[in-house]
Amino acid sequence: MGNDFGALFRKDCRMLVTGKFFWMALGFLLLYTAYVNLGYLRFMEMPPYHVYLYDPGGTQTQASELVQLVPSLEALDAALLEDTNGVGLDASTGAVQVVLYPGAERIDRHRVDYALSLLEPQDSRPPQVIGSNTPEQKARKEITCELLFFELAAVGFLGIAAVLFKEKGMGVIRVHAVLPLRKSLFLLSKLAVFLLCDLGFAVLLTLMNLGIPDGGAVLPAVLVQTAMLSLMMALVGLLCALVLKDFRQFTLAYLVIAIFAATPVFLSANTSVKFDWIGYHPFYHIYMGLKNAYFGGRASPADTIGAVVAIMLLFLLVELAFRREMGKEG
Amino acid sequence: MNGIRYQLKSVWKDKFCLMTFLLPILVAVALQCMGSIDLSSLGELHFGVLQDDLSPQAVAWLERYGPVTVYETDEAWAGAIHEPSTNVIGVKGDGAGLQTTISGDELEIFQQAAATLPNLYEQRAAAQQVPVLMRERPDLLESLQGIFVPAVLIVAMFLGCTFNAMNIIAEKEDGVAFVNQVLPMSTGQYVAQKVTVGFLFGSLSAVVTAAICFPWRNIWLMLALILLASFVAALLGLFIGKGAADMMVGVVYVKLVMLLFLAVPLVCALAGVDGPMAVLCNLVPSQPAFAGIVALSAGDTGAALQDIGILALHGVGWFALYALLATRWKGKAKG
Repeated sequence: MGNDFGALFRKDCRMLVTGKFFWMALGFLLLYTAYVNLGYLRFMEMPPYHVYLYDPGGTQTQASELVQLVPSLEALDAALLEDTNGVGLDASTGAVQVVLYPGAERIDRHRVDYALSLLEPQDSRPPQVIGSNTPEQKARKEITCELLFFELAAVGFLGIAAVLFKEKGMGVIRVHAVLPLRKSLFLLSKLAVFLLCDLGFAVLLTLMNLGIPDGGAVLPAVLVQTAMLSLMMALVGLLCALVLKDFRQFTLAYLVIAIFAATPVFLSANTSVKFDWIGYHPFYHIYMGLKNAYFGGRASPADTIGAVVAIMLLFLLVELAFRREMGKEG
Repeated sequence: MNGIRYQLKSVWKDKFCLMTFLLPILVAVALQCMGSIDLSSLGELHFGVLQDDLSPQAVAWLERYGPVTVYETDEAWAGAIHEPSTNVIGVKGDGAGLQTTISGDELEIFQQAAATLPNLYEQRAAAQQVPVLMRERPDLLESLQGIFVPAVLIVAMFLGCTFNAMNIIAEKEDGVAFVNQVLPMSTGQYVAQKVTVGFLFGSLSAVVTAAICFPWRNIWLMLALILLASFVAALLGLFIGKGAADMMVGVVYVKLVMLLFLAVPLVCALAGVDGPMAVLCNLVPSQPAFAGIVALSAGDTGAALQDIGILALHGVGWFALYALLATRWKGKAKG
């Protein structure tokens, strides 16, 4: 049996090599790493509101260093137009007037009060810091987690399905009906190949983007979550390949999965927009498991049990579909 | 009549076409749900306080700046501050003042807000009535949201070309196209049937989409826009079906057409094209459709009627072009 598995496993690896699967994964790995290091970190910087002061009479003597002086009213207007989040203070008439472009009401109120407070700064009481991540560490962990989820659930999934549909098109799946092998070996070897690929991808992505000390610390927990997600996606991919007629049908099913499964999860998990029903969304729990792993939180046992049960159910379903497909061969 | 029934049946059985039919409708539903989320809350300050810790006045003062959540236990409070997806600033009473707590991984803007909050609180009484001058904002964000709905409607209107294009290509692949050549059916009948298929499915999908995400105003003008656009789309489907050798090429063609049809009006709307370029843009049928939808949602029926006119010209033009080419193809086939 070990030999049989080895033979199938080698065949599946060859299939991935000829399908340019590894090249695709490598390409995406480089793309993601470049995005994190060259784009995302810069994109995520959000400095405090800039405050511009026009004060020809020099009445505001105590103004904080954070206030930028401008030489004329025109310069004040130009600065605000450039930086619409900024706040302008016009002290040319003696009394101070605040000038700003409106945004959300409560934020505007804070911007006004904040800008005025800078005119008479006091020693501020520093906030207590209870976390251990710096903003950059947080940004790196967050984006790495998102990219890994995206790769496993969307890009890698597409690759898996493409390879499987190719096999199906060539009739390889039906050939297994007449091979003297245990039927579940076929599924197990496929799962093992994709699992190993995804784990390797997760290790490389995490270490390349979090650095070795940070990445190494979270890696064990991340790998557990990756393994569960990878198994699920590979099983769903197999199921699609067995049930749907051809790749054309799959591309649309995929579109629906990608858009409607991923968007609400990303919104809920990464922003303060929270949906009431998101708890019923299976991808949400998987994503939160992965995110908790990156941020050192403990995975909830209910989620882990749920994931394992889901994997077992999917496996049974796939086995059923597989037997049906082979049954067509008689 | 029988012919059309068979055509509709074959399209209905194709899952690819069915998904294409449902896609804009689903997106419209999703947009409708998304519309109820207030995205402007994203940049707001969020405060977390402990139960019975701050005075009601202090909580009311915090609420001027952003939503305040009350936590019952210290752990829940610290957990909310830690939570990486939010930027909750913890606030506790400290004598007559406030003490803020952050997790340290927040964006600089929130860290700065937390650092200055105790000062703002102390100065709250002295906060003199300073006049605030609000400037007229260059309204980029709102126009971006206003563009979403017309974009989805454009997709719905012009996706009609997928139905008959896929239908024609599938017939080519299955060999039905050859069978058709020996059937006693004129080119006119064939074209009429294929156009009907694309037109019916395209307009139906667009009507449902519009009913979901477009305000119920000027219904008849909107319907005219949809019907004309679907007719043009169905004619385009004929061209795609004729030009594509197999399914994959056909899918690529459809994607390219949709991309072009979305890109031209979006770029025009965002960049504000005018002069001869604007006239040139109207050569792409999605541009008058888009402009018509925008005009209708703004209540400008005059501009909408003009766009409907341009779209009708498109219908005539594309039809004439196909008829011309079809006679030439026929001549070639015979010669």
